[in-house]
Amino acid sequence: MSSSFDSSPALIPAVARGDLAAFEAVYDRYSGTLYALLLRILGNAEDAQEVLQEAFVKVWTTARAFDAARGSEIAWLISIARSKGIDKLRSRRVRADRENDAGREISIQSSFVDKTTGADNAILSQERIAVRNALAELPEAQRIALELAYFEGLSQSEISERLHEPLGTVKTRMQLGMKKLRDRLQAFR
Amino acid sequence: MNAHEQYQEIAALDAIGAASPDEERDLHDHLGKCAECRAVRDEYAEAATLLARGLEPVPPPEDLRDRVVAAEEDNVVDARRRFGPGAWWLATAATLFLALWGWRELAMRVEREKYTTQQAEIHRLAEDNARLAQKNDKLSAEMAALASADTRQIALSGQQVAPSASARVFLEPAKRRAIVFFYNLPANAKDKSYQLWVIAGDKPQSAGVFDVTGGSGNATISIENLPVATEIKALAVTLEPRGGVAQPTNANFFVMGRSSL
Repeated sequence: MSSSFDSSPALIPAVARGDLAAFEAVYDRYSGTLYALLLRILGNAEDAQEVLQEAFVKVWTTARAFDAARGSEIAWLISIARSKGIDKLRSRRVRADRENDAGREISIQSSFVDKTTGADNAILSQERIAVRNALAELPEAQRIALELAYFEGLSQSEISERLHEPLGTVKTRMQLGMKKLRDRLQAFR
Repeated sequence: MNAHEQYQEIAALDAIGAASPDEERDLHDHLGKCAECRAVRDEYAEAATLLARGLEPVPPPEDLRDRVVAAEEDNVVDARRRFGPGAWWLATAATLFLALWGWRELAMRVEREKYTTQQAEIHRLAEDNARLAQKNDKLSAEMAALASADTRQIALSGQQVAPSASARVFLEPAKRRAIVFFYNLPANAKDKSYQLWVIAGDKPQSAGVFDVTGGSGNATISIENLPVATEIKALAVTLEPRGGVAQPTNANFFVMGRSSL
């Protein structure tokens, strides 16, 4: 599986062979995207940096497990970083609960907010604009449900509780949203 | 819906980590014996990453790169040490070599740090430049909208919970978009967001969330894809859980106004 997002030469197979230069190139190419993702998940630079480092250790040690037939290089890297970020977020929530802390502030960014603060965004690549357009085409309710699951690591029932919506409604929204994203992915290839 | 379609719907949820434990177990059992559903699961997994790919990249601190790379350099050295010959002369030669190499590496690292600092500065300036250009474009578009002969205004007045608050909506009916300026709203708590509702038809529709911080009490939001102007009956603002909700959870309106379009 390949997409226009990673048309540049594949690096992970070289990392799997122990090529340190390829590893550095992976870092240079993707660390900005992965760090942005971890900041979005964790909302805290210190934790995001710690998890980013752990994620790259995992990239180095498990590069042989990457299978280009199953997905793109960037998707594999994002999956590793997100998984580690959500693990960290959940352990922090457990700790916060234990300390009877209010825990992390919840943020759901609506597209309206993005538009308002859009001037704060920096240079956008054509690919990123295409992705954002695809996301902007999702109905707000679907996008919010997807973001709560993907960035906040919330379960179906937690999302249902948060949005004051029936569980079935939330599941349907997430499934419809994912179908649309999958359709859009076809268009990017 | 056949069994495969049901599993594929679970795969859609699994890709964003939202499948329940039972669903996840059933799905993985099925994937072990169904190549078609495995392929769909992989496509959903790839599609889910679009949520992250739309984020603006943020360069991590420069020293993090050094830490990450140094950790793996150590691993490489350890591996070579484990699998290499153990002769003492080789260790001595290696020590001398590493000492000489170390000076070279140190010099290279200094140069690399200079380079990365310069790159970061260039990146920062480019970001500033792009940000200012975007701000300029946005302001120009907003000014053009405000100045347009077709632009309609709707005044929202403060209600019981915030009598001194007000808002003014500048609506472009043809483009179904609007800019809303809010004044004298109380600052919202960190776990809350203000949410603007458009009442068109029976149900209020969310038109976006915003925060009011600091003492000014002012905020501005842009709205796209509004309902047709003649269908807009009123606009109102409530305070909701952070990030907004699908429908208002309370009727404590901060500002409200009826449309006469």
